[in-house]
Amino acid sequence: MGKKTDQAYLTRGETQARIAELKYALHLMRQNRLVLSGSILVIFFIILSATATTIVSPDQAFDLNFSQSYCWPSSIISWTALAATCPQGSNFLLGTDGFGRDLLKMIILAIPLDISIALTVVTVATAFGVTVGSVAGWVGGKFDEIILRITDIFFAFPSLVLALVFAALFGRTIQNLTIAVLLVWWPIYVRLMRGQVLVEREKTYVEALKSLGVKPARLVLLHIMPNAIYPILVQMTLDIGGVILTFSALMFLGFSPDPALPELGNLAADGIGHVFTAPWLIVFPGVTILVIALAFNLVGDGLRDVLDPRLRR
Amino acid sequence: MILVLFGVSVIVFYLARGFPSAFSPWAQYITVKTKPAQIEAIIKTHGFDQPLYIQYWYWLWDVFHGDWGYSNWANGLPTYVVFSSRFPFTVELTITATILTLAIGIPLGIVSALRNNTAADHAARIVALTGYSVPSYWFAYVLQLVFAYYFYTWGLPSLPSGGIISQGLQGTVPTVTGLPILDGLFAGNLGYTADAVAHVILPAFNLSFISLGYLARIVRASMLEVLRQDYITMARAKGLPERIVIYRHALRNALIPAMTLTGLFVAGLLGGAIITETVFSWPGVGYVSLIAVFQGDSNFLLLYSLITALIIVVANLTVDVLYVFLDPRIKY
Repeated sequence: MGKKTDQAYLTRGETQARIAELKYALHLMRQNRLVLSGSILVIFFIILSATATTIVSPDQAFDLNFSQSYCWPSSIISWTALAATCPQGSNFLLGTDGFGRDLLKMIILAIPLDISIALTVVTVATAFGVTVGSVAGWVGGKFDEIILRITDIFFAFPSLVLALVFAALFGRTIQNLTIAVLLVWWPIYVRLMRGQVLVEREKTYVEALKSLGVKPARLVLLHIMPNAIYPILVQMTLDIGGVILTFSALMFLGFSPDPALPELGNLAADGIGHVFTAPWLIVFPGVTILVIALAFNLVGDGLRDVLDPRLRR
Repeated sequence: MILVLFGVSVIVFYLARGFPSAFSPWAQYITVKTKPAQIEAIIKTHGFDQPLYIQYWYWLWDVFHGDWGYSNWANGLPTYVVFSSRFPFTVELTITATILTLAIGIPLGIVSALRNNTAADHAARIVALTGYSVPSYWFAYVLQLVFAYYFYTWGLPSLPSGGIISQGLQGTVPTVTGLPILDGLFAGNLGYTADAVAHVILPAFNLSFISLGYLARIVRASMLEVLRQDYITMARAKGLPERIVIYRHALRNALIPAMTLTGLFVAGLLGGAIITETVFSWPGVGYVSLIAVFQGDSNFLLLYSLITALIIVVANLTVDVLYVFLDPRIKY
């Protein structure tokens, strides 16, 4: 028996079945209007974050003008009697922040930052979790035990406090805050992947491939991984919203490297002392975060229903 | 379990004591008037110049003797006093938030399961997903803005925007349990209790809104699962009214997975909801832990993270034991 005995299995039946399955999943997702609108929003936000700097010049973030800070333009909605009105001729659609910048432009500039941080955290956490988790699940024994205990420790942590302490210790740069979020985010992927591998390794196809002499690394990477990856994909999609929420919460709680940084939590934090005089400063960045997180969660929720054949109804 | 607590304490100890330039552990023992020479002496006598593992040993020794150190920012009170004086407020918030979550989440889940794939189900799904997509700090401010500010300006009955009790009522009842709502009841002072309830509603709703979505989804999934079982068909075939089938036969089993989630939710909340407590100026342990981070109070952070970890570990264990008790099919 050659070492690539599983090649035929991989190339013919397996791949075709998988593509057919994926097509069917996509079809099902299109059926659900909620998931469809979530996907459209996700695509919209991704396009927006790719083009944000061409829509609004990043220099606008440094364009401070304190004479027009905390002002609201139109008389269509009157937030409070205390709100300042913007000067004639200016067109700030969503009012201005404390630095006198156009809030709408700042939100547009902030979206790519938040989404890219979320993607970074989720990708790195997944890569790490999938590697460690599948090794732990496959090898088992002492190594598995140690990994399990370490994740236990991290699960028992008040996660936000760990991130806060980390951010307080190592300085408030975007990079450190990203690491702080990552620090509390990886264990779930390890556990998820480990559980998947534990389930899959007992199945007949793994036994069959083993008896064919397929090497463990190849077996895990090419055969188990594709079967085990769906819950991970769902978790990733659901976590993008979660990471944005956590990251912006760190910013909001006062761990921002720069109060003028266009980041959604940071923009909202600018409004803390002005809730009753300039409510739009908290309302609009918050709504943006809500819509982004909701879009990804809708897709993730739909993916979960569709990718798990048992849940298809 | 011991291992988890040990691990948590080692990690926090290393982070909180290993970087004196950012978090100087002796800051809790000095005042503005302490002279440099005295600071040197304090560092020496407390052993802050020793290697970290020896310091850890000292700390562990003190902890087992009931000495958690002091918190300078809280008028130099012993750290465990700072914690225990704040903990009842967090307990009150946790209990209220849990009641709200169960009261809204379970019916929501049942409705979406019974009316599977109808408008009601989709609405419940949107509520659930919104719940876990909403930035809690933002939602907290929106609640304040609407119920405290706008309701007040429109002349509607408004709710207080923060704190645990109105200023004028502070200290009017003796502290028995430390929970303002219960203390008011014990003292027979209903006005006090009503005021305390009014203060707790907004933060509790803020907390429950985030988690009732999860709960509703879990209840929905397990309800759908249960309704497909043979014994339900059997109960229907017997001619039992649908109400009894659902509420007496199906719901009991469908709620078992929800219980796990509730247990973990309570454990998480007892550890303090940093964001919600901060926005609503709720003086619980979560709020204090944020102050401790900013004040570099490693004593409090160590105590806080250990107790939180302990609560989570115990909750996990309790849930596992209860699970076996409630569902005889599960055996370990």
